[in-house]
Parts: sequence; structure tokens; C-alpha cells
Amino acid sequence: MIIRLASVVALLLAWQLGAQASAGRFVIAAPSQIALYVMEHAGLLWRATGVTGWAALQGFVWGNLAGVLLALLSVLVPRSERGSLTLALLLACLPLVATGPILRVLYGPGQGPQITLAALAVVYTTFLPVLVGLRALPQGWADLIRSYGRGPLALLALVRLPAALPYLIAGLQIAAPAAFLGAMVGEFTGAERGLGVLTVRALRALDLPATWTIAALAAALSLAAFAGIGALGRRLDLAPPEILLARPAPRSGGLGEAGAALLVALLLWHIAMEAFDLPRFFAKRPGDVWDYLVAAPGAEAHRAKLGAALGQTLAVALPGYLAGLALGAVLAAGLVLAPGLAALVMPLSVALRAIPIIATAPLIVWALGRDVAGPVTVVAVMIFFPTLIACLHGAARTPRAVLDLFDSYDAGAWRKLLLAQLPAMLPALFASARMAVPAAILAVTTAEWLATGRGIGALMATVASTSDYGMLWSAVAVIGLAALATHAVIAALERAVLSRTNPEQLAR
Amino acid sequence: MTLIRPSRREALALGAAALLTPRLARAATPVTLQLSWLHSVQFGGSYIAQSAGYWSNAGLDVSLLPGGPNAPVEPPVVAGTALVGISAADYTAAAVNQGAPFRIIGVAMQKNPFAIASLPGNPVNTPADLVGKRLGMALANMPVLEALCALNDIDVAGIEVVPTQYDAAPLVQGQVDCLLCWATDLPVAMTMQGLDPVTMLLADHGYAVHSQTYIATEASLKDRRPELVALMKGETMGWTDYEAGPEAAADLTVQMYPDAGLDIETQKMQALRQVPLMFSDLTRAQGFGWFTDETVAANVDTLALLGKPVSADLWDRSILEEVHG
Amino acid sequence: MTADLRLSGVSKSFGSGPGAVQAVAPCDLTIAAGSTVALVGPSGCGKSTLLRMVAGLEPVSAGQILFGDETPDALRRRAGLAMAFQDAGLLPWRSLRGNVALGRRLARRPRDAAADAALIQTVGLAGFENRRPAELSGGMRQRAAIARALAGMPELLLLDEPFAAVDELTRERLGTELAPLWEARGTTTLLVTHSVTEAVRLCSRVIVFSARPARVVADIAVPAHVGTGSVGAGKSEAVRAALRGAMA
Repeated sequence: MIIRLASVVALLLAWQLGAQASAGRFVIAAPSQIALYVMEHAGLLWRATGVTGWAALQGFVWGNLAGVLLALLSVLVPRSERGSLTLALLLACLPLVATGPILRVLYGPGQGPQITLAALAVVYTTFLPVLVGLRALPQGWADLIRSYGRGPLALLALVRLPAALPYLIAGLQIAAPAAFLGAMVGEFTGAERGLGVLTVRALRALDLPATWTIAALAAALSLAAFAGIGALGRRLDLAPPEILLARPAPRSGGLGEAGAALLVALLLWHIAMEAFDLPRFFAKRPGDVWDYLVAAPGAEAHRAKLGAALGQTLAVALPGYLAGLALGAVLAAGLVLAPGLAALVMPLSVALRAIPIIATAPLIVWALGRDVAGPVTVVAVMIFFPTLIACLHGAARTPRAVLDLFDSYDAGAWRKLLLAQLPAMLPALFASARMAVPAAILAVTTAEWLATGRGIGALMATVASTSDYGMLWSAVAVIGLAALATHAVIAALERAVLSRTNPEQLAR
Repeated sequence: MTLIRPSRREALALGAAALLTPRLARAATPVTLQLSWLHSVQFGGSYIAQSAGYWSNAGLDVSLLPGGPNAPVEPPVVAGTALVGISAADYTAAAVNQGAPFRIIGVAMQKNPFAIASLPGNPVNTPADLVGKRLGMALANMPVLEALCALNDIDVAGIEVVPTQYDAAPLVQGQVDCLLCWATDLPVAMTMQGLDPVTMLLADHGYAVHSQTYIATEASLKDRRPELVALMKGETMGWTDYEAGPEAAADLTVQMYPDAGLDIETQKMQALRQVPLMFSDLTRAQGFGWFTDETVAANVDTLALLGKPVSADLWDRSILEEVHG
Repeated sequence: MTADLRLSGVSKSFGSGPGAVQAVAPCDLTIAAGSTVALVGPSGCGKSTLLRMVAGLEPVSAGQILFGDETPDALRRRAGLAMAFQDAGLLPWRSLRGNVALGRRLARRPRDAAADAALIQTVGLAGFENRRPAELSGGMRQRAAIARALAGMPELLLLDEPFAAVDELTRERLGTELAPLWEARGTTTLLVTHSVTEAVRLCSRVIVFSARPARVVADIAVPAHVGTGSVGAGKSEAVRAALRGAMA
């Protein structure tokens, strides 16, 4: 206890001294400055937190509800699964530059866009684990219900839903920081108050104490939500998930099914825009994108420009994505070896995930360089957190008997990790690889927009400011396709690897 | 609480009375003005018009919709959510080239606020000083730099462009030597932080692009003329008051938007700095927001350099003529 | 209410065409109403599959199963049967009491906490009511599964190796307490086991199956009192010997 207290004090002291030494460079705000800012602006911060928090909470509820309902639909109508998955993934990959203006036009003034963006940020990451939970059904439980002549509804109410609860809790934990970030970013579409508004203001005013205070506040709130949801799960005394986040990947060879799902997504895109009567000027339909990229004069030049940007983006996104997955897995392995580190690593990880990327991305890029290391790190930082959580859950489901077996041979921690716990993590790692796709896209486009000025993120920002909405929606479509393709590749890889290492995951 | 607020029943009764006697209290026409950024003294004149009742007296109920980093002005105006938007001639030109039916009906910033900000130790006082410097800017503004270079016979390749977000940090951290920004925001922030930045206004070096322009659709110009006139009249009155007392406008801004995180001293400095950009001999002679064939011609020339060719028809002075006539 | 269970020409094959594997050879059996009958045979011979067909969980490939004049599906739909599974199949998030109550709930019968408590007492788990399945031993879980099956007051009780993980002493005690319970209720009971001792102790009739595909090789009646009482231990030994001979 004393050691812990002392280390916290030492950390704060080092921070304070570091900040004071570099005061002229406008990078770090000292803890004392943050404390002073909080005291002087307590009322303002309180109100802003209330506004953003309320929007985040509403979005959290709606988004998770949507994710759960989509998962339920997938279980009750198995044929709809591919469609639900495609829809959830595409929704999660919609770039803010495209959705922001539309949401603002649809909702007018108020909290609508903030709530919607918070909701969109969580649908996919809740959908995936809940679907696993609903599917994690031993044959015996299904037989039990059937042996009493009860149907799918009783199975859902008495078995599937309770069995999915721990998975829902895990999903909610990942969703909490995402919803908060979504609500903050939603304020960029034009708001009168909130933490997002204050962030923009503070960055422009070169107000370091304010910037750091807001970042710390967002991080603290996300941490609290993360811990609170975890505590709720323990309070409910839920059995821990048995095969967390792993989900039998959609059957391969379903090319027709994938095409149908894509068609449904395109139809929804068109119908939604028509239903709300959105002007074609900024709300381009799939047909407009087709014209822009294929049929209309100049299409070849448009394709070349978009292709070049996509190439630049992938060159950053892929290494960052792989680095993030590796970082998450390595950290999880580290925590398995030295569980004591969790007290340090977990809060730091949640905080890094929760701090608005617009605040961290420029700092990281500045520290590590604009060319490769900086943007790659931004992507890695954004996605390592869910991977870490998933892998930890995965390691925890190493069967007790297997661990006892290793202990009975007095096998070392390393050997146990290598031979028992890492294989147990594999399904979770793949699942988080699928979950991380939208986060990686968000990270890379933001870094490109704010820092590197290359790639599809910068292209979208540029064309949005010149009302070139044809190019903007073409970019949206290309991003969606890239996400679906990435997901398909991972799913195929997952099947190939798991069929060797964890065949039980693919049984049904 | 019950002492201040009318009870629910009273409120209902009042509402019913308003419904039953429409002729006594003429219902105000709701109108939305889409601002181009978060609330700040940048729109001080509008706040004066709002609080002094210049709009409500004319039968308008105006909502001021804030903008933001991801809130382009053009979509809500096209969609009709906003009757008028605050844009800039280059943005409007781009949108019109993409098929938007806009007209510029007034010009708040006669001089474009774009500037090059640098630090006194390594200053940029003229466009020629840019050569060999690292310039931080959003890549979306590349055409602006190219136009400036073309206007001043400078080889743009001699400038090292570093993509940055819109933030003074890269300059004060030493990542770049100068920034392309508005003269009224980042340099003000640096001054408030105790730095003494050098600003070179692009408008002083041939860059003629109207900024903070009022845009409306052709359909609105045809069908909603009375509202447009009333709206612009209120703007004119508000901004005329603003010119007389910019610091009072800053006070009003902070008072009206206490949750926007505004610093009063910063707002006052910004309020003062935008006066010379918005008011000139021309506006004093003809009225706020005015433009002439000559200023429009200069804009058309600069916009051509920016790759956004437009004709002078983009500007429509008929509303202003009614307002000031 | 209870009735005879009739299997006529019931067989089961997995797969189709030349690659089909026969799991249960055509089989004719009649189980008298209210009797307790054991199905014994080597591991993997297909007796569990037969039990699942009786429960309606597995379609028959040929033949017909009738309980009275009802098919297994009809019987299931009115919650007339209950099955205790080999792996217990308890829901991990419910306490022992909750799992037993679930049997009553699934059978659409009103709550009856006292009856549940009595059942828990009968299977020897009094004092563990609030434990989760993870906190119980394998044998305890199997006993809980039996209590859950009995809670629904089934007319046909199907037990799939219900004592596999229960220790020998408890097994004997359970036999003396459970068998009278379902006999008193008049429940027709089918018990799948590979333990000859258990079959003889609990049942009035033992049907012996061959290795896969399951085929009836012996059908031996166990004289009354042989199983449950200590009287006639010699006779019991004789029956067991006969059974072992049949299985060899």
C-alpha cells in the first residue's frame, strides 16, 4: 500500500518536473496546472461533462440495444447473420466527415448527432460478443429444453439470454469508452456545449491545461464506466464467459450470401437517403458513386486519385493494425505471467483508448515522426485495448485441469503460457482482430486528416471542404469494401488456424 | 421556482391564448442562420441582433446554429434546414461548381482573414520570406498557398509544406517555421500565451477572397425574400453596433454562451482584430456587407487562380440594396 | 396415466448411401407401464442413441415408438417425459435450487419450493441448495440432474448413465431411495448404464445390447427384492452372472 502510494507520488512529481522543464515547448501540462484549471472552471467542466455524458449514455443504450437486437436476429433467423454482420461492420466504418453533415441536417440543432455517433461507435463491438454468447450453447442445454417439448423462445429466455449476459458485459466494457468518444466527436458537427466543444476550443487557444484536463476527465470517466460495468458483472455473479469473443466465422464459400448482404446494404443506403429526402448535392446515392467512379466522364481520373489515396492509407493501416494486435496479445501474455502488473497496465490501457484521438494523434505523430512510425503507432494505440481484454479473457478460459496438469509437472510459467494459455487465447485474438477493423480505419483516417495529410483521410477532409461529395462518398464506399474484405480475409485465416488448434470453436 | 416560472396550467393557458388570438401577437417566422464555426465573437454582430431584438421586432425568430470542425455550412443551406449560411467565396465557388444553387447575398469580411503567422525570431513579413521555410497548414488549403505564390511570383516548390491540424502548437513547438491560419484566432491565442507572433495578412498581398459571406439558395431568393431582407437587416444593425463597441460584443458573447469555454480577454482581442477586416470606407459609405463590381471582379480573378472559376453572377446585391435602400 | 412403452422395428443409421453407419439395429421392445428397465451394453454401443430416440431428441431411421398411443414428440409437447443427461447439463448461472426448480418450470407446473426441497433431500444434496454447479462435484451434479428430471413429475423418466460419476456408496444409497420414489409414482423408467450391478440393483428387467450396432442379445427379468434387499443375495449373484454371460 505504502509502496503503491509512493510510486503514485513519484509519478506525479516526475510529471510535474517534466512539464515545468518543457514549459516553453507547449507539450505537457503539469499536474498543478490541471488542478488549478479544474478548480477555476469546475462549473464549466461539470456542465460540459453532464451534456456529453448524457449524450454518450443515450447513445450507449441505443447502440448496445441495436447490437443485441442484431445478434438476436442472427440467432433466431440464421440466414440473416451475414446481412447483420455486414450492416454492423459498415455502420461502424462510416467516416464522420460523411455522416456529420447528414446527421446535422436530419436532426437540426440539439444532441441528435452526438447520440447517433455514440451509438454507431458501439453497435459492432457489442454485436460480435453477444452473438458469440447467444451461440455458446452446449448441446446438452438445447436437449434439456427440447426434452420438455419447449421451443426456441424458451431456449432463448431460459438459456441463450442468461448465457449471453457475461459476453454482453464484456462488450459493454469495450463500448463505454467508444460511446464517450463518439459523443465528443459528435459535437464537432456543431454544438453549443460539451467536452468536445471545449476540446476544440482548448486546442485552438493553445490552452494546455484545458486540453490535458479534458483528456484526463474523458479518460477518468471511461475508466469509471469500465470498472463500474465490470463490478456490475461481478455483482450479478455471472459465470465468466467460456469462449469469449470467438465465434464460428461465417462459412466460407458463401460468396452468394456475401453478395446478397452487400446488395441489401446498398439498398438500405439508397432507401434511407431517399426516405429522408436528402439533397443529392451532399447525400450521394450508390448510383451517383457508380457514375462518379465508373460511368461518368472523368471517372478514370477519379479512380486513379482514390486508388492512390487508398494505397497510402493501407501502407499505414496494415502495419499499425498488425502492431496493435501484437501489442495487445503481448501485453495479455505479460499480464498472465505477472498478474500484479494489471493494476498499472489496465488503467493506462483504458485511458489511452478513452482519450480523444484528436488530442493524442498529433502528439504521437509529433513525438515519433510523420512518415511511418507516428501514424502506425496511432493505429496501434487505438486497437490494442480490445485485443488485450479479449486475450486476457481467452487466457482465463484455459481449462483448470490443463493448468493443474502443468502444475503437477512443476512446469514453469513460460511453458504454461506457451503450451496452454497462448493456444487458449487464439480464438479471442482472432475475434478481436475482426473487432478491431473499424477502430483501425477510424484511427488511420484521423491521423491522416490531422497529421500526415496523405491517404484517404486527408482526401476526405479536402473534398468535404470543397463540396466534392462525389469523391467523399466514393471514399466511403471504398472504405466499406476494404473493411468487408479485411474481415473476410481474417475470417478465412481464422478458420484455417483454428481448425488445427481449436477445432471445438468451429464445431457448430 | 413557482414564483419565477408560470405554472404548467398558466403556461397552457398562455399558449391557448396565443393560439386563439393570432392577430394580436403576430407569430414570429422561424428562421435558421447556420454559422461557420463554434460560437465566439466571430459572430458578435449576430448575437447583438438577437439580444437587442433587431430580428424579433421584424417578426423573425432566428436560431443561430453553431458550426464546428465537421459541420460544413453548405449542406444545411441546400437542404433548407438553414435559410442562410455563413460561408466564404472560395467554399461557395467550389459548392456551386458541384451544382449547388447558391448566391452570395452579403460579405461580412471585406478582407480575407487568412494570414501567415510566424515567430519574431524567424519572421515572415512578405510572401518572399516564405521561401525555404517550413509552413504548417491543412492540405485542403494548398490552393490558397498556390494562389498567393502565383500572385507574388514565388515558386511554391521552394516552400516545405508540413500538414498539420489547425492549431498553433506545431509552430510554438518548433515543428514548423510558420502557419497558414486566420489572423483572428491562432495569433490571438499565441499572444494570450505571452508570445508575440508576426502576422502577414494574405489580403495585403493580392489575395482577394470575400470571407464570412452570407449565402442563400436561388429558390430562397425567389420565395423567401422578406425573411432574407429582415434577416440581413438585423445583421446590418447588429454589426453596426459591433463596430461602435467590439468589446461590448465580446462581453455579450461570453454572457450568451457561458458553456462555450470562452475566455473574455481572448474574445476582446479577437473582437478588436476583426474590425479592420470587416469594416472599410466602402462599408461606411454603402453599409455593412456591401460589395461592388470591382471587389467582385477581384474575387473572380483570385478564385480562378484557386481553380474555382466563377462568374460575377454568383454575387447578388438585391437583398442588400433593399436593406440599405 | 402412465402407459406401456412400445418400440417396433426401431433402428437408427447415421449418414446415407453406402457410407451409412448403423447405430441401432431394428429393435422390438415393450416396457410395461410403471416398470423400471435397464439398458446395458458396452460403451458406445448405441444405447444412448436409443434413449434419445425415445425422448424424441433424435429421429428414428425406421420403425415406431409409442408411449401408450402417443409419439415421443407428442409426449414431449405435454411435458410427459423427463431426461437426466450424462453430463448433467445444469445451467451454470443457476443455483442448485434454481436448476431443480427449472425442471418444474420447463414442465409448466406451478412452483413448489417444498417439493423441490424434498427432492434435493432425497438425492442427498440438502445444505447445498444455494451452490452453483461449478461448486459441486461431478457426482453431485448428476444427482442434481436427477432431481431436476423428477421435479417435472414425468410419466416417462429417461436416465442416461445418471450415476457414472457418483461414488459407489452414494450410488447404493441413492438406489434404495430413488427407486421406491419413481415406483410409487408409477413412473415408467428407462435407465441406460454400463454397470451390471447398478442395473440389477435398480431395475426389474435388464435388456442387454451388443456392441455397435446395438442389438438386443439378452432380456432378463430380475426377481423382486433381488435388487433392493439384502435378502436373496445369492439369487442376485446368479442374475449378474447370467448378464455377464450375455454381454461376453
